[in-house]
Amino acid sequence: MVDLLAEFLTSPVMQASLLPALLIAVVTASMSVMVMAHRLSFLTVGVSHASLAGLGIAVSLSLPLLPVATVFAVAIALLLALMPKRQGISEDAGTGILFAGSMALGIVLISTATTTRVDLFGLLFGNILTVSGEEKIWLYFLGSLILVAMLLASRAWWSIAFDAVTAEASGLPVGFLRMLLYGLVGLTVILCVKLAGIVLTAGLLVLPAACAWLWGRSLAGLWLLSVLFSITGTLAGLIWSYAYEWPSGASVVLALCVIFTISWAFNWGRTWAKQNDNKG
Amino acid sequence: MAQSIVNISHLSFGPSNKPILDNISLNVEAGHFMGIVGPNGAGKSTLINIIAGLVAPDGGHIDLMGECLTRFSRHRLLKQIGFLHQLHDHQPRLPMRVRDVVAMGLAQYATPWKRANDQQAIMDALALVDMAELANRDFRQLSGGQRQRVRLARALVKKPKLLLLDEPSAALDSVSQDRLFRLLRKLCDDTGMCAIMVEHDIAAISSHVDSVACLNRQIHHHAMKGENIPDDVWRAMYGEHIQIVAHDAGCIGCQPGTGAHKHG
Repeated sequence: MVDLLAEFLTSPVMQASLLPALLIAVVTASMSVMVMAHRLSFLTVGVSHASLAGLGIAVSLSLPLLPVATVFAVAIALLLALMPKRQGISEDAGTGILFAGSMALGIVLISTATTTRVDLFGLLFGNILTVSGEEKIWLYFLGSLILVAMLLASRAWWSIAFDAVTAEASGLPVGFLRMLLYGLVGLTVILCVKLAGIVLTAGLLVLPAACAWLWGRSLAGLWLLSVLFSITGTLAGLIWSYAYEWPSGASVVLALCVIFTISWAFNWGRTWAKQNDNKG
Repeated sequence: MAQSIVNISHLSFGPSNKPILDNISLNVEAGHFMGIVGPNGAGKSTLINIIAGLVAPDGGHIDLMGECLTRFSRHRLLKQIGFLHQLHDHQPRLPMRVRDVVAMGLAQYATPWKRANDQQAIMDALALVDMAELANRDFRQLSGGQRQRVRLARALVKKPKLLLLDEPSAALDSVSQDRLFRLLRKLCDDTGMCAIMVEHDIAAISSHVDSVACLNRQIHHHAMKGENIPDDVWRAMYGEHIQIVAHDAGCIGCQPGTGAHKHG
């Protein structure tokens, strides 16, 4: 085990991808607590799948993948924030429509783009081991932007998550802050695509906070635990990926699922024991 | 003469052929505790939401603390208002201590470069609602009544000049209701805070408030303490089928011994 760990840490591929992977882990963990608090899990699924159309546009026009996909994902997220109010469509239905339509468009565009070789498997399931220098700069830029926005707006977002009516009555621009949150979820989705791909991104944006929710007793504790679980899951997933040659994104999501299962079982046992104590 | 806290003139809301609120005028001063009663759909919550700056009226004018409520003054004025809205308990069960919930009511809470843990103000607000001992308790583990008291502490923590309450006693038993109304009465008397409270049951509030506005799209009557509310006002609000029963002295709307009071 120690040998494997040493080999993992000294591997040039892992050394190159470890820092971006850990940055993604911290950013997604931070955003995932807001995703859980504002009940945006389905939005993350919708935006991540819809971003395939952005990647398809970039592929067919031979444009850089990540910047085009970023603009597209943010636009989709903002559209989802606006659409239900304007058109009387429920949020989950709106997400479903955009999710299916954009994904279909993305598949058509990618399948017809014969001039460019596209790693479709990498787009769908992610591969942090193939991150290029240019993509790293883009990931660091997006990650820093999201973390700064989180620092500035997190208290306002907690207020809205707890009680949006009172938050608005206290003078907070609730509509603008919601749009900002949706836009940042779009950005975070793109950040995750490199690690977990379009299909598994939602796992990174839901699982860390879902684990933390079972343990956290305060908002600060929730965030710290979410980051801790996310980093642990990412490291464990990358080690599995290295040791067994599994896809990196799927390994990270599986590791997070294991953490969630252990947390849930422990929490269930604790509740059961408490109920038995009360009966006794 | 006390400072005018809320001054509403000729306020209207909704389509002109079927207005939700029609030609409402009110003046409420510092230290005044006013109840708003009326049947379901009378526009009580809409009126409170308009005063709270959540909904813009279609006509008329509102002054808060002597300043016109506009898009530009809204943010500044709302910092002086506490708001406890009708309870819809669908909020996500965030892991928060009671003191953290109250901290959310501080005016500076959402400003990231300002400290939002004024522990003295938080504990004072919790003491007002008899919840100081539970300051470190998980908010999710409280009963419905305890949660409502914590929400009230959150509304009071910034020491508002105006407190707006929309059916605050909905989750409370009768003892807790009475305790809440006594607390609001005391705050109005001691601090000069003005409170406007929507309630269904006039009998529950009448001995605590200074005045009662009878609302059903229009304000049919604004009765001050000791004043009788005529039968035709009750009938205009609730219809002809209401039963009028006697109540005790000191209540707004009562004629003790003559049997002229309504319980809705």
